[in-house]
Amino acid sequence: MKTDARSAAPRRLMDMVHAALFEEIPFNVAVIDRDYNIAAANSSFTSRFGDWQGKKCYEVYKKLHQPCDECPSAQVFETGKTIVADAVGIDQHGKPTHYVGHVAPLRLTENGPVDYVLEMTRTVTGTRSWQQEYQILFDRVPCYITVIDKDYRIVRANEAFRHSFGDVLNRYCYEVYKRRKSRCPNCPAARTFRDSKVHNSNQVGTDRRGQDIHYQVTTSPLARSGDQVGHVIEISTDVTAVRKLERDVVEVERLAAVGQTVAGLAHSIKNILMGLEGGKYIVSLGLKKGDEEMVNEGWEMLERNFTKTTTLVKDFLSFSKGRLPQLQMVNPATLVNEIVDLYKDITAQSGITLRSEIAEHVRRAPLDPDGIHTCLTNLVSNAIDACQMGEQKGSEVVIRVREKGEKLVFEVADNGCGIDYEIKQKVFTTFFTTKGGEGTGLGLLTTRKIVQEHGGKIVLESEKGQGAHFQMEFPRKRLMTLWHEGHGERPDHKKQVRS
Amino acid sequence: MSVTVLVVDDEPDVARYLATALRANGYTAVTADSVEHGLEEVHKAKPDLICLDIMMPRQSGITMYTQLKNDKTLRSIPVIFISGVGHEDPWDFRSFVPDKSIPPPELFLEKPIDAELFIESIEQLIASTRGREGGPNK
Repeated sequence: MKTDARSAAPRRLMDMVHAALFEEIPFNVAVIDRDYNIAAANSSFTSRFGDWQGKKCYEVYKKLHQPCDECPSAQVFETGKTIVADAVGIDQHGKPTHYVGHVAPLRLTENGPVDYVLEMTRTVTGTRSWQQEYQILFDRVPCYITVIDKDYRIVRANEAFRHSFGDVLNRYCYEVYKRRKSRCPNCPAARTFRDSKVHNSNQVGTDRRGQDIHYQVTTSPLARSGDQVGHVIEISTDVTAVRKLERDVVEVERLAAVGQTVAGLAHSIKNILMGLEGGKYIVSLGLKKGDEEMVNEGWEMLERNFTKTTTLVKDFLSFSKGRLPQLQMVNPATLVNEIVDLYKDITAQSGITLRSEIAEHVRRAPLDPDGIHTCLTNLVSNAIDACQMGEQKGSEVVIRVREKGEKLVFEVADNGCGIDYEIKQKVFTTFFTTKGGEGTGLGLLTTRKIVQEHGGKIVLESEKGQGAHFQMEFPRKRLMTLWHEGHGERPDHKKQVRS
Repeated sequence: MSVTVLVVDDEPDVARYLATALRANGYTAVTADSVEHGLEEVHKAKPDLICLDIMMPRQSGITMYTQLKNDKTLRSIPVIFISGVGHEDPWDFRSFVPDKSIPPPELFLEKPIDAELFIESIEQLIASTRGREGGPNK
């Protein structure tokens, strides 16, 4: 008896374990016979799908009146092999419930037919719902998302990307984005593969309709910290509209400058007409009075103003040679040094100190070197004139170049006679000249025109008798926009001039 | 007693033209090529009227005008602004002189100026000033 009791104990223990497992396992467990009757089910199943006693599995799982079209149990009865099932049923409250799990054969006799199937499923409705939301987010987010592998093939792409670039799976990213046959130089994804870090870049691609797309791309490693990067996720924002807006702003400013130029031309012509009117009047008065000296005086006035007309026309034609800046990647410091070299002898002869201040870390920039040369020449020439007109001793002209936030700034400062507030109001908008009979007043206007063509602006700080301080500010973002306009790619790869 | 008109303009031809027209019509004309010289002449010649250009070297006509209007002894001298900036252009006196205690000029004439119209304007201005203050006779 003792022996029987001892041998019975382990069996009872195992039965208890099996019973406990059947009940406590965090799965919906059901046993189905060949007629799809549910022979047994645990409490987890019951609480999910409700009463099952005397019911068919399809009635309980899916509230159907006949077996499902693709019944996993039927498959197991037929093949005798365990399978993984993935299905959507209806729970006891009538709500769709997504479940996955194993369907395994049960045999009452070894090597006999499959008498039952054991279905152990897990409800994954929450997980699936989250996955669906993630998929919607992935597809609908208003930017392009692609995942590329180490061969630069696109393995995933969201809806926005597919909409703009077409069927892209398994194609090379450089082929899809840029219609290239080889990897792009300075590829941000390559940098991420190399250093596992996030990189940003501005790019211009071509969509499936052949239209240029300007986009800002961020590449991130698709790996946990420390793991080798197997994939890179590229998130790109289409900034084509922003680029267009930036171009439009530059164009509007250019047109405004044209309008002001025309108004300035009219102003200048009026002054000459006044001289002609005066000459005509004095000649006429001299003739009436028989005063030869007066006639001569009037005639000379007429001649002078005819000459001014010729000069103005020549200057204006030169000014009106409107052109897009011929951008090159240049070192701004080089441009400043050229101007110092050009004027050092003239200033030395006039007792004026001319010097440059070049800040550290001034970066190269896409500029029209000839245009900037003209601007600096005009400003320095004016500054020298102001020093000569001023009464201060120890006159000085300083040319500076520095970075100010995201702007490249050139400055020309002098301690000459300064500019009156009222003149400041007009300094860039008309052809006026404050040099009496000399000059046509086009210098500053030309300077402003060139600066605006670069997407920049020129500002003046000056107090009467305190000298003048001109600043030409070039937002680097705008310079890059112009550069992209002219080149369609990043500046790093262009021929570099004037280093 | 002759009416004295001060013409302040850095363009010598303009000053010469206006001065000739004034003299030919019986006025006494004094010219100055800058604000500094203009202010000197205001005290020396004591003009009855001033023709003032706006854009001049170092100091503008607006600066001189402001100084005149801030000086109790000179405030009453009528001023004609003469400039290439026309009324049609965005020339707004208050954008130049925001201080509302300073009145706008009596007249603004746009270059080029016809001598006949110029003299007519001077006569009218002098007449109205004379009528207002019992001012000088030409």
